[in-house]
Amino acid sequence: MESQYFSFQELCNITALPSQTIIEIVDQGIVEPEGTDPETWLFNTQMVSITRKACRLHNDLEIDWSGIALAISLLEELEEIRHENQQLKAQLDRFIAG
Amino acid sequence: MIKDLLISQSTAIDLSTRLFKQALKITLKLDLKINCLKKPLQNNGLIMAFKDYYKILDVAEDADSKAIKTAYRKLARKYHPDVSEHKEAEEKFKEVTEAYEVLKDSEKRAQYDEYRKYGGRSSSQQDGSDGNAQFEGDFSDFFSSIFGGTGPNKGQQRQNYGFTSQQSFNQRGQDIETDLPVFLEDTLTTDATKTISYQLPYRDAQGHISEINRTLNVKIPAGVVNGERIRLKGQGGQGIGGASNGDLYLRIRLVPHPLFDVEAHNLIITVPLAPWEAALGATMEVPTLTGKIKLTIPADSQTGQRLRIKGKGLLRKQGHGDLYAVLKVVMPSATSSEVKKQWQQLASSAVFDPREEWSK
Repeated sequence: MESQYFSFQELCNITALPSQTIIEIVDQGIVEPEGTDPETWLFNTQMVSITRKACRLHNDLEIDWSGIALAISLLEELEEIRHENQQLKAQLDRFIAG
Repeated sequence: MIKDLLISQSTAIDLSTRLFKQALKITLKLDLKINCLKKPLQNNGLIMAFKDYYKILDVAEDADSKAIKTAYRKLARKYHPDVSEHKEAEEKFKEVTEAYEVLKDSEKRAQYDEYRKYGGRSSSQQDGSDGNAQFEGDFSDFFSSIFGGTGPNKGQQRQNYGFTSQQSFNQRGQDIETDLPVFLEDTLTTDATKTISYQLPYRDAQGHISEINRTLNVKIPAGVVNGERIRLKGQGGQGIGGASNGDLYLRIRLVPHPLFDVEAHNLIITVPLAPWEAALGATMEVPTLTGKIKLTIPADSQTGQRLRIKGKGLLRKQGHGDLYAVLKVVMPSATSSEVKKQWQQLASSAVFDPREEWSK
């Protein structure tokens, strides 16, 4: 199994983003890597995809970073609620059927 | 076609006498128009659909730039693939972006208006929907036929598309993300392997880009959860000029099970009970993911009650989740006259008001 964690430098490389952008994303709390400063930061695969999503939204919709932080957390919440809703629907179907 | 051309040429001359200074510009536009008319929206033998950018953005033909910007922003938020659940979000978003790219720029807009007025009409039976159009990069062939090229590079390359045509010579390969459907049973063992196939953009020595299919055997780590991403280093798009390959990210999607629902690391099974089993209690065999177990239902059980079966859930990083048996009292569908008699006896002797709440 490959390493599922990325250092700050690795994240910059694979996302092709300037380090300043990633620092901004971390400062806004959009992703919360392990570690206390850029030298020790560790990002997991989930954070890589959130970083990318944040940048797409920032570029495509011209939203500033604090707006992105809000959008990302609301999107996450929405995804959780959708997932929960799906689960509850499935359970309800089992309950009503038969 | 020739008639069209003559009309548009004479129109251009009228304009040029009125506004002499713009004559050169109009001639340029005319050149472009003639080019379009010579090859009427054709590409690889396919007739391209005319795109009505005003319709796409849902703005009037004389809308000002502010109205266009507002309309674009609204639609971009609505159809952004990262936000929208719409089936065709990505296509819609591209279309909206393309429309805005043209209409926000007064020069491009004038060019497009001209084209729309004279050139577009003959092939505009199909409107905004791009039935036959083939996408090349981010913008449509329709766009390229008017403005040339494949459209501006929007800074960051979008993740799901192939290479853009503007890559430098030393560039890391593209990362690919794809769903990996996994059966619940597969998450329990440490050596479950799955064969996956996915498409990879491929660039040959001449720089032509095509898609190739790649097949791979993947070991599924024990204890994966829904939505988790697994990274396979170097299995993404090829690097250019000696740069490393991109990675492949597999997003775990747990396949719905016919018997079990999933709640975090716990499993849920619905257990149908006869009314007398619920009343008197019962012992029965209940399926788990790894085989059957014996379950004792206590007397006076209710629909909706949950019984916890420890350690029979999904694998966690340490240990197992639990299995919950949710009880569901079910009535027999047909009642024989003998059973009916027994229900009647029960009805007269039992003191039970199921609608007690209502009489409070």
